[in-house]
Amino acid sequence: MKKLLTGNEALALGALQAGVKVVTGYPGTPSTGAIESLLRRQPQGVHVEWSTNEKVAFDIAAGAAWAGQRALCTMKMSGLNVAFDSVISIAYSGCVGGLVIYVADDPGVSAGMAEQDSRGYALMADLPMLDPPSVAEAYRLVQVAFEISERVGTPVLVRLVTSLSHSKAPVEVEEPPPPPEREPQLIRDIARFTKAGAAICMAQHRDLIRRLEEAGRVIEEMGLNRLDLAPEPGGLGIIASGVVVSYLEEAFEVASGLGLDPGTVSVLRLSAVHPFPADQVRRLLDHCGTVLVLEELEPHIERGVHVEARRAGFAGRIVGKLDGTLDRVGEYTVREVVRSIAQAAGLEMPEDLLSGVAAEQWAAARPITVCAGCPHRGTYMAINQAIRRAGYRKNEVMVTGDIGCTILGMNPPFYTVWNEVSMGASIGLAQGYVHAGVKTPVIATIGDSTFFHAGIPALVNAVQHQVPLTVVIMDNGWTSMTGMQVNPGTEETFQPPGNRRVDIARIVEGMGVEHLFVVDPFDLEATTRAIQEALSLPGVKVVLARQECAIQAMRRGIRVGTVRVIPEKCVLCKRCILLTGCPALDLGEEAVEIDPVLCYGCGLCAQVCKLDALVVE
Amino acid sequence: MNYDVLLVGVGGQGVLTVAELIAQAAVSQDVPVSLYPYKGMAQRGGFVKAQVRLGRDGAGPNIPERGADLIIGMEVSEALKGVRFVKPGGDFLLYGHVWPPTAVMLGKAEYPPLEQVLEAAREAGARVVYLDPADRPAYEGQPVPANVYVLGAALGHTGLGKVLNSETVLRAIEARWPKGAERNRFAFQAGLGAVVG
Repeated sequence: MKKLLTGNEALALGALQAGVKVVTGYPGTPSTGAIESLLRRQPQGVHVEWSTNEKVAFDIAAGAAWAGQRALCTMKMSGLNVAFDSVISIAYSGCVGGLVIYVADDPGVSAGMAEQDSRGYALMADLPMLDPPSVAEAYRLVQVAFEISERVGTPVLVRLVTSLSHSKAPVEVEEPPPPPEREPQLIRDIARFTKAGAAICMAQHRDLIRRLEEAGRVIEEMGLNRLDLAPEPGGLGIIASGVVVSYLEEAFEVASGLGLDPGTVSVLRLSAVHPFPADQVRRLLDHCGTVLVLEELEPHIERGVHVEARRAGFAGRIVGKLDGTLDRVGEYTVREVVRSIAQAAGLEMPEDLLSGVAAEQWAAARPITVCAGCPHRGTYMAINQAIRRAGYRKNEVMVTGDIGCTILGMNPPFYTVWNEVSMGASIGLAQGYVHAGVKTPVIATIGDSTFFHAGIPALVNAVQHQVPLTVVIMDNGWTSMTGMQVNPGTEETFQPPGNRRVDIARIVEGMGVEHLFVVDPFDLEATTRAIQEALSLPGVKVVLARQECAIQAMRRGIRVGTVRVIPEKCVLCKRCILLTGCPALDLGEEAVEIDPVLCYGCGLCAQVCKLDALVVE
Repeated sequence: MNYDVLLVGVGGQGVLTVAELIAQAAVSQDVPVSLYPYKGMAQRGGFVKAQVRLGRDGAGPNIPERGADLIIGMEVSEALKGVRFVKPGGDFLLYGHVWPPTAVMLGKAEYPPLEQVLEAAREAGARVVYLDPADRPAYEGQPVPANVYVLGAALGHTGLGKVLNSETVLRAIEARWPKGAERNRFAFQAGLGAVVG
């Protein structure tokens, strides 16, 4: 049957079709949709979970694969950085059951992170990597990945980019069967599953290299990469990998209009980007006069082509990123493909071809802010107020930021947060600022899921070293930025059956933090006072600001109150809008207006109104 | 027939839903389709866009500049982001809704005048189809959903009507909102027959 699926859904369904037994991951745009779709489907006999972080997720998947089951682990590119310590070690050991890592890269940056090209990891870990060119191929190639993984005994990486993981296209799919019954195995093999000593590690390194070569042979045998040589030698050769392959046909149509005869072009289409397809590249180089390499982000394939060209004594031109023709930044469209073909084939390309007239410079700036009713709003306002009341100016107090919705505190009207690095980094960065000799208080801000993910070790470090620091944990009970996933701190009612909630307050106390303030961020005065007091105390202080994500609460029909405007008292001073930036507030003709659909009733606007023109009922 | 549609607007307007409906209708007509949504990080109030590519088997997800047969702009200022993508001779459907960012509301930032946006689209060689929000009808006393109304207008007043059949789009709408079918059907039909400028 044909179904309209996203790349994430297609990949997840393909994994089910391949008989996956354990699926783990940590939410991260653009990869989140894969596990989300499985959690919605609740496949019988398959364990699916959001784990605490990507390393934990990968270790779980690897354990299952060592016990002989098929396992999938999903993450965004930044997550692979977190998991990689285990990934490279398990690459050395290999696997028993099929083990597939799905990583989603984000060229064009849809979600504010480094534009990392994870193909580099395949190179570093000597792991095979498949790079499907389309949504439909994601469904098929994840199944192929499991097959390669089990035939060769190696973990296999499957990489998608945002434009495929988020895109929808019709895919011919089958209703997946339940996973096959496989008895779990307990294999004791010290030489394989430990790193005990140089001899073992170096033997594993040799095994790793051998497995990658074998994977290359299997990939060749399966015909995953397709080489089409033009009848006449000496023409243009194109190597395209991943999603860029999907622009080729369209580019040939356009380039035909510029005088290109597509029949003279040889093409190597890559779906398996690692190991490097040296034989096919060699045949292309032997056949062509000029070679163009098309790949988004880093010139991984292109560098390999240069090496192969040298070995082949290739005298022609190699066009790509290294000669400056193509950009290493952003997503490609057919435009980049046509331009580089024109460059490589010496065709004239009109200036305005596939190049439009810019008008977006006149558009009104639309900085993103927190949602109406977001509890983080109260926390940012309280931090700002506490800094002022403690006698400092805002530009004197470092407030480090972290990943997730909490980072929106950098934007207007708050301008509270100064920086953003990676999961859990706020607490480590803050300690660095203290050790650097900063005399004013240092504050770290972090969300609940981020705290569980990587904030805990950093806080332990601060406690051990007794670093004077105020850590504000904004606990809204959900992993919100990625679309409301359950995390260890989510209320038990919303946890999967049989799961237990882990309470951040008890963790913090257990670490030996002496000053813990648990506050309600909708109570601006109490939150401000707690933060102000924390700033004045020695040692590590934690302010735990607790209130559920308003989006989630409103989906269940909850409103914490109703805010009403008393128009005769409102003088349109705009103070409520300036301080809260709440999307539910609007400037009316005579008075401020409240959008009753958006308003959660948090009452922060009423708390800052000096004329009592806003009241909470 | 290859036909590329770019939709731009603000999160909360139902832009992505319109794109989904177009894609669903395409699937039921067996027209090859790729839908690439972009919604940034905001739940509401942030820039949203969607690229729908019809007719091309295995199409790459991105529409090139100067390549879209149809731009659907659901918000006046955000519609400017569609201008560089319109194909000369293509349609530029603008629903004249104004959603001012906070800074504009507070008088601290400029908002582009409607005429400037229409002019920019015309200058890019587009055939401009303007849909006035004031003309959006009501159903049982409530204004009809703007996104379904705009989708109707797209079927009735742009080249999209030659690629997709109004009946299949209507069926996609009914499948999506089995409960609100009547109201959404009304919105769609009002858009189909809307008076445009």
